[in-house]
Amino acid sequence: MSLGGAAGGAPSAFDPKKLRMYGLVGSIVGIYLGAILNSALNTNVFSFIGAVAAIFAVVMGANAVRRVCAYGIGTGVPSIGMLALGMGIIAVMFGLSMAETLGSILVGPIIILVYAGVFGYIIGVIANKVIKFNIPVMEEGNADLSMAGAMAILGWSFAISGTLGYVDILNNVLMSGYIAIIFIAGGLAILHPFNANLGPDEQQDRTLVNAIMVSGMAMIATGIGAIATQGLASGLLQLVIGFAIWFYFFKMYYRLVKRDAAAVVGTGLLPPTVQ
Amino acid sequence: MDAFSMGLIAAMGALATVAGASEDIESDIGSQSNPNSQVQLAAQVGNPHRIYNKAISGEPPANALWAATAAIVAYTLITAFQMSALLALVAGASVAALFNGVLSMSAYFGRNSSQKRFNQWVYLDIIRYTTPSIMAHAWITSFCIATISYIMVYMLPTPHPFPMAVIALIWGLAVGAIGSSVGDIHYGGEREFQNRQFGCGLNTMLSGQIVRKAEAGLRNSIDNAWFCTKFGGPATGMGFGLTVFLDNWRTTVFDPVTQAPYAIAMGLFFIIVMVVYNNYIEKSARRKYGPYPEYKGDIAA
Repeated sequence: MSLGGAAGGAPSAFDPKKLRMYGLVGSIVGIYLGAILNSALNTNVFSFIGAVAAIFAVVMGANAVRRVCAYGIGTGVPSIGMLALGMGIIAVMFGLSMAETLGSILVGPIIILVYAGVFGYIIGVIANKVIKFNIPVMEEGNADLSMAGAMAILGWSFAISGTLGYVDILNNVLMSGYIAIIFIAGGLAILHPFNANLGPDEQQDRTLVNAIMVSGMAMIATGIGAIATQGLASGLLQLVIGFAIWFYFFKMYYRLVKRDAAAVVGTGLLPPTVQ
Repeated sequence: MDAFSMGLIAAMGALATVAGASEDIESDIGSQSNPNSQVQLAAQVGNPHRIYNKAISGEPPANALWAATAAIVAYTLITAFQMSALLALVAGASVAALFNGVLSMSAYFGRNSSQKRFNQWVYLDIIRYTTPSIMAHAWITSFCIATISYIMVYMLPTPHPFPMAVIALIWGLAVGAIGSSVGDIHYGGEREFQNRQFGCGLNTMLSGQIVRKAEAGLRNSIDNAWFCTKFGGPATGMGFGLTVFLDNWRTTVFDPVTQAPYAIAMGLFFIIVMVVYNNYIEKSARRKYGPYPEYKGDIAA
């Protein structure tokens, strides 16, 4: 087996359980770290940690898309990415407002994670039992996607607002309209990797590197948003780190493309047909 | 209603027409959306090709991303740096075009290298000369959509209550949906299968048998843009322009708060007129260019 691992039930180089654990732990720890550092030091330069934390969630989501869609949902790849963010945003709004009601904003991410997991699982059960998709990993995949979408939205919302407070996120992210870019760039970060690499010779590592690359791009966008809400220093820091992540992983992606492609040529006529 | 707001509505209609046209041509250069399935299939049925494979997502989410990016950059520059609106919108559209370029390239690389066993090569010259054309059209689309959102939020006498980026996202989804349903047929049906009889539909047997050779040399995606500019692009532009113009016209002529029933009635009237007109067009096309092959009933699975 190559390092990449092919789709469609074939062995993957990275085990989905491990990726899920890294994704959940990475995103939760990152968001908490950013939030606690920001409030303890009374600053907002650590908001970028939230954006980096979202990348862990995106990688887990992209792997879930890959697992579910490898069962032949070709045109459904974009739809399932949008579904992930749709489930996620409901969980985020619910969790943040619950935390505000309970009086402790730090329990927000945990409530969001639990709610998103249960909600996604139920959607998966409905998809399999009522709509009759009959995809074995549907429930698990939808729970993963829902949690990934929720953590991505939460991480990037935190990166723009600088706190986990419901009112702050409402004012800085929703009312200013930055939620639009979080929603759509987050959605593309989850759905684009598998969609862009769809094909019989898809490789897991290439798909996941693409996910990190698109997340870096989304981080550039949240950095631009953070310039308006948190000031130039914090926003530019986020933007520069996002650009660095994007640049590094784009180069890595191109290396993997050269490794996997039949041929990468400067120019040329049609290749000899292989049937 | 005053002359100023009517002028703004007309400007929005014009911008939307341009946005629709450039959106469709952008997706056709990259073979995005519906026609993409045939480009993807071509190599798998033994027809490797030199056509761009820009599988970013369906057109609606992709265009929503460009439009929302342009809008958030413009919004940030306007609110945080008090930049003039026109310059801010230009800067926003430029960032959106860069995002577009990255996603386009990664899709071309990824899709083609995932077809290794069919010997589909990755041609770097295609990346070098086609991606800038795609980015240029995405620039036009996102500039126009972000400008429409700006006008709706900051310039109309009764401003829209939503934030600018959310409106741009919704219009981006709308232009993608219209481009996907109006213009793509011209590219997918008439260009990829131009060696088939007009209006013959796509037989399953022909799946993936797209035209790969041009009048001289090999078919490339810039040729497809030239072809689609003649009909698919303008038709999409008209579709989206009319959507934006008529929708805003009725809420400008009739006050949306005090005269809401009139605005709703006018919307229903437009829908009825369009249904009747579309029915007439379809019938007259069948009369003039038919006969099309008879429908022989569903084939049992």
